[in-house]
Amino acid sequence: MKVTCKDRERIFEDGTAAEWAALEAHAAACATCAEEIRAWNSLSVAAKALRDDSPSPELWSRIERALIEQDARKARRTEVKRWFSFFPNVSLGWQTALAAAFVLILTASVTWIIRERPYHPGKQDPLLKSAALKEVESAEGAYEKAIDKLAAEAKPQLDTPATPLLASYHEKLLVLDSAIADLRAQAGLNPSNAQLRYQLLAMYQEKQRTLEEVLEAGK
Amino acid sequence: MGTMGLALPWKTRITSALREPAALGRWETRVGPSEHLTSGPAQAGAEPASEDAALAAACRAGDLRAYERLYMLHGARMKNLARNVLGRTVDAEDAVQETFLKVQRSIASFRGQSSFVTWTYRILINTCYDARRSRLRKKEVTTDDDAEETPRMEPRAPGAHPSLRMALERALERLTRHQRDVFLLYEVEGFRHAEIAGMLEISEAASKNTLFQAKKNLRGMLEPPRSRAGELR
Repeated sequence: MKVTCKDRERIFEDGTAAEWAALEAHAAACATCAEEIRAWNSLSVAAKALRDDSPSPELWSRIERALIEQDARKARRTEVKRWFSFFPNVSLGWQTALAAAFVLILTASVTWIIRERPYHPGKQDPLLKSAALKEVESAEGAYEKAIDKLAAEAKPQLDTPATPLLASYHEKLLVLDSAIADLRAQAGLNPSNAQLRYQLLAMYQEKQRTLEEVLEAGK
Repeated sequence: MGTMGLALPWKTRITSALREPAALGRWETRVGPSEHLTSGPAQAGAEPASEDAALAAACRAGDLRAYERLYMLHGARMKNLARNVLGRTVDAEDAVQETFLKVQRSIASFRGQSSFVTWTYRILINTCYDARRSRLRKKEVTTDDDAEETPRMEPRAPGAHPSLRMALERALERLTRHQRDVFLLYEVEGFRHAEIAGMLEISEAASKNTLFQAKKNLRGMLEPPRSRAGELR
């Protein structure tokens, strides 16, 4: 094989063993190529200066510890995943898709229920009429009857008030009766409204106290 | 004659400094034209395919002894490569450790398209450059003055010739990343172009060409000005 100076760089880049041999043979008679080859190869020799064989005695034990720790963490994560996996044989992608579908169905169902629920003003859901509500209404009726009896006792004094105080009581009782009538009307429309029931009870108690004071004043 | 020599008189200065760690058998000598006359570049990174596959299988099975074997075979070279990229031994050791952890984390995804060792070195190189980038970001946070990332090489073992090494290190930093990688892998670590191609995900021809360009550039940087003038003739 015959090579010339022009072939030198190509051989440096990707020369075969035969081409290198031919180049060296050529360099025996060509000072330029001989120097180029020497300089080129001296870089390879110089590169060996970048090797550092200083030992790192602790490095493997450090790596080993880190590998063991990472392995333990992975085992713990796998255990947690196993516990929380409802579909152990289904891939993570499918599990995510199923979870998304479930959330979508749930949202759609709730939206549908809210939109389609019939709205009847003044009429409550029958489920809200519990036995406790009936009991409250019954007690309320009994309490009302008892107060009516008290009112009947105080009626003569109130119809013909002997003092300005009794006249004031009379007026107060008229106001209370009016308020009670309003509240009873509202409670009739909304029987399960606890707030209305409390207000009605407070009115009855006030009427009871007023009637007691009227009877006391008349003695 | 004489005008093409490098700035450093290599032959006279390196002979005593470049004793191979023959006892350890980690690196093979691959210097001078004689290598091209015989069998070409040494196959320093080559392992029998069966051993490579067995090593991969054992690592996949979680066998710590396999990782230890990998370390025994390649730990020193991995550390050296990382050190040449990162500049400091402590950073290099961190990079090697991180590489082993990444291998353990990703071994299930290793499909055997390249050799296990090649795959490991690819992880190492990427880890080193991640570390470099991370260091650069930290540096940018602390100071905006010196944005250029240049690893500060710390003193090495007494065996290496200091002036030669430092000149080469400085010149290497001025190469492109690919040129530096190929030069380090081929000339310093002794890998074949086929292996380097696998590690850097380039073709073998590209690896050869990159090495050629790297060496040409290094010569340009290391030669005295008078010899560059001589070359232009």
